Amino acid sequence: MYEVTIEPTGDVVEVEEGQTLLDASLRQGVWLPFACGHGTCGTCKVQILEGEADPGDASPFALMDVEREEGKVLACCALPQSDLVIEADIDVDPDFLGYPVEDYEATVESITDLSPTIKGLRLRLDRPMAFQAGQYINLQLPGVEGARAFSIANKPSENDVVELHVRHVPGGAATTYIHEQLAEGQTVPLSGPYGQFFVRKSASEDLIFIAGGSGLSSPQSMVLDLLEHGDTRKITLFQGARNLAELYNRELFEALAAEHENFNYVPALDAPEEGSGWEGFTGYVHEAAIAHFDGQFGGHKAYLCGPPPMIDAAITALMRGRLFERDIYMERFLTAADGAEGGTRSALFKRI
Amino acid sequence: MAARKLNLKERYSLLTRDLDWEYSYRDKKEIFPYEDFEGIKITDWSKWEDPFRLTMDAYWKYQAEKEKKLYAIFDAFAQNNGQQNVTDARYINAIKVFLTGVSPLEYQAYSGYAHVGRQFSGVGARTACQMQSIDELRHVQTQVHAMSHYNKFFDGFQDFSHMHDRVWYLSVPKSFFDDARSAGPFEFMVAISFSFEYVLTNLLFVPFMSGAAYNGDMATVTFGFSAQSDEARHMTLGLEVIKFLLEQHPDNVPIVQRWIDKWFWRGTRLLAIVAMMMDYMLPNRVMSWKEAWEVYFEEAGGALFKDLARYGIEMPKYAATAIAEKDHISHQTWSTFYNYGHAAAFHTWMPDEKEMDWLSEKYPDTFDKYYRPRFEHWREKEQAGERFYNPTLPMLCNTCQIPMGFTEMDDPSLIAYRQSVYQGERYNFCSDGCKDIFDHEPEKYVQSWLPVHQIYQGNCGGADIEKVLSEYYRINMGKDNLDFHGSPDEARWNAWHNLESAEERLKKAG
Repeated sequence: MYEVTIEPTGDVVEVEEGQTLLDASLRQGVWLPFACGHGTCGTCKVQILEGEADPGDASPFALMDVEREEGKVLACCALPQSDLVIEADIDVDPDFLGYPVEDYEATVESITDLSPTIKGLRLRLDRPMAFQAGQYINLQLPGVEGARAFSIANKPSENDVVELHVRHVPGGAATTYIHEQLAEGQTVPLSGPYGQFFVRKSASEDLIFIAGGSGLSSPQSMVLDLLEHGDTRKITLFQGARNLAELYNRELFEALAAEHENFNYVPALDAPEEGSGWEGFTGYVHEAAIAHFDGQFGGHKAYLCGPPPMIDAAITALMRGRLFERDIYMERFLTAADGAEGGTRSALFKRI
Repeated sequence: MAARKLNLKERYSLLTRDLDWEYSYRDKKEIFPYEDFEGIKITDWSKWEDPFRLTMDAYWKYQAEKEKKLYAIFDAFAQNNGQQNVTDARYINAIKVFLTGVSPLEYQAYSGYAHVGRQFSGVGARTACQMQSIDELRHVQTQVHAMSHYNKFFDGFQDFSHMHDRVWYLSVPKSFFDDARSAGPFEFMVAISFSFEYVLTNLLFVPFMSGAAYNGDMATVTFGFSAQSDEARHMTLGLEVIKFLLEQHPDNVPIVQRWIDKWFWRGTRLLAIVAMMMDYMLPNRVMSWKEAWEVYFEEAGGALFKDLARYGIEMPKYAATAIAEKDHISHQTWSTFYNYGHAAAFHTWMPDEKEMDWLSEKYPDTFDKYYRPRFEHWREKEQAGERFYNPTLPMLCNTCQIPMGFTEMDDPSLIAYRQSVYQGERYNFCSDGCKDIFDHEPEKYVQSWLPVHQIYQGNCGGADIEKVLSEYYRINMGKDNLDFHGSPDEARWNAWHNLESAEERLKKAG
């Protein structure tokens, strides 16, 4: 297993023995330009800045000798032979602050039941961590192999704790440990901040947040951060949950909506229990967004966070309402149950 | 603070779109007269994302190195008498089809991109088209050079560009590109950059190039790799065009959908010749046409159209028909060419027993039931010294210009006929797809230069078919045409390898 750092964004991906750079990157949610996928076109050419890689089966016409000597490789064929730093043809967003990733010791301050399936964790850090609202940390748990990613739910100004929302994934080692064994006072190592999910503050457009299940974490951090800084753009948060018991932190957002004229909060339940007295929107969260905006989303920036089917439905709804890739940002919550994304992918979209 | 290093996108932008200027003393509409008439609405050209990000200096450097490498391989191929090391002389006929049918399309593409590269008011699109135009010119040159070696040893290569403009079956690819080039600039881009380069190119290039690799043709493999290293830029341009049009204005969506429907169908008709090449002309077979279609269209195209659905774009209108045709199209096309083997500038033949078994295995639902009996009958006739040639001239589809030999998919024993009447004249089509294309723009397709009509009207050098073939088409009769068995190509090949002629083998088998 090699660690590959991708400049200029600083994303880090892990590449297994015999796995190509492109495969590892795409599977870990880091987009690199590519087209043919088998070494004949050269679209995925990257520059190696540090380390060694085998160029693999790259065509001599797509990756020429002089380029090989310069340390260029095709990501779709290249097999790392050591940890690498590469430079790819990807854009750095001017709103990305690029806080350094560091290791922290965190002490479990509290564990609360947010819903029947979601626990809220507050971890106190051994020192402050600078992060952007929307980013995530990698948490290590005793007896669980590898680190697990969780989005930070608190606002960045509260920089000596991280608040996490953890849904129990049946059979999932890490979430089962958190739900059944993790105790207050326990210390756990974590690293961060990671990720390219953050608010484009320099953009003037009004904002839409669509969150599903424990995917509320990032949007919560983002909304709290925006309101704390007195942002005057219109902000609408759609929160999707199965039923009333699963709809958590509702009071928090209802209070914020009452306090801030520019903030709207729209919860949606897709399967409210009979007799629960639910009077809000019934249906999927993307349907709530369509109803609220009358199907027209142009002129916004949209931020999506939640399970893959929700993200997928939300993207389709937004695009049908004429909001396109350049204005849609997302964090997919993949679990082991989702597996690697199966099937052939077209090269039509880069990030969505 | 040190100056931040520019990324590729910024460097490209400074060297291309920043060189554009304002039109201060001429009306923009006068400078770009074709931008509006197709009904496409562009509200903001700055939303165009440059697909290539390659600056001219880097472009020349890379292309020059590619050429050096490529021509070194051509030289080595020639010096080693590479023509003798292919699997079998029958294979060379696939390359004849490529040179006469495909390479001139690269030239047409060069000309088409040079034209539209002048017509867009967005500088990003203009630059991308100009660069692709230069690529296409390079492709036609390297292909002609690669195949010029075969011209020294085999028949049928000598007059490829003359033939492309005149010969009946070559009017299929020629009219395809003529149609695209005489359309508006945005339709050209959807037709060639998107439908052809992105959706269907793998079905054209991969079969020919892997066919070459499987049959010992290193020269063709090498120009294939060299061209493919440019092809990715072209595919990226195709994707950018489609996204740009669909995002610019909702009114563009139905127009683009109609173009996708049209050019998908025209493209699949054009690929019929690739289908027959894969299933019949490669002595060492790579995969069947049906398998290639499943991988490159049904799987890859399915993923693409699933993504495009987000824009409100649906699968091409006749995709279901095209999918049903995968079991038939190669057999029907080869039958047509076998029928008219005396009028083609390459050789045809009946598959041998082993090859028929391969076809049975690859096409379990159709080959034995519909095609094998006919082919065995033709083989028996050939063995009896009565090789079948069809003496009549076929009716052609008024849109795709292919002889009307394709059948209904729900009844493969019934030839498909469609008709439209326009201004009192009757026009014939091979399919619903081709009829739709005509019906939408009849004033365009009534002008089709249909080779059979032209022969009957006396515009192809006279009423005598021999004369049309030899003088107007410049086919060397008895050399370029007829069955492979008994051809000079076969005789030379056998002499190089001390083999018996097919005639002798047939005698023994009989």
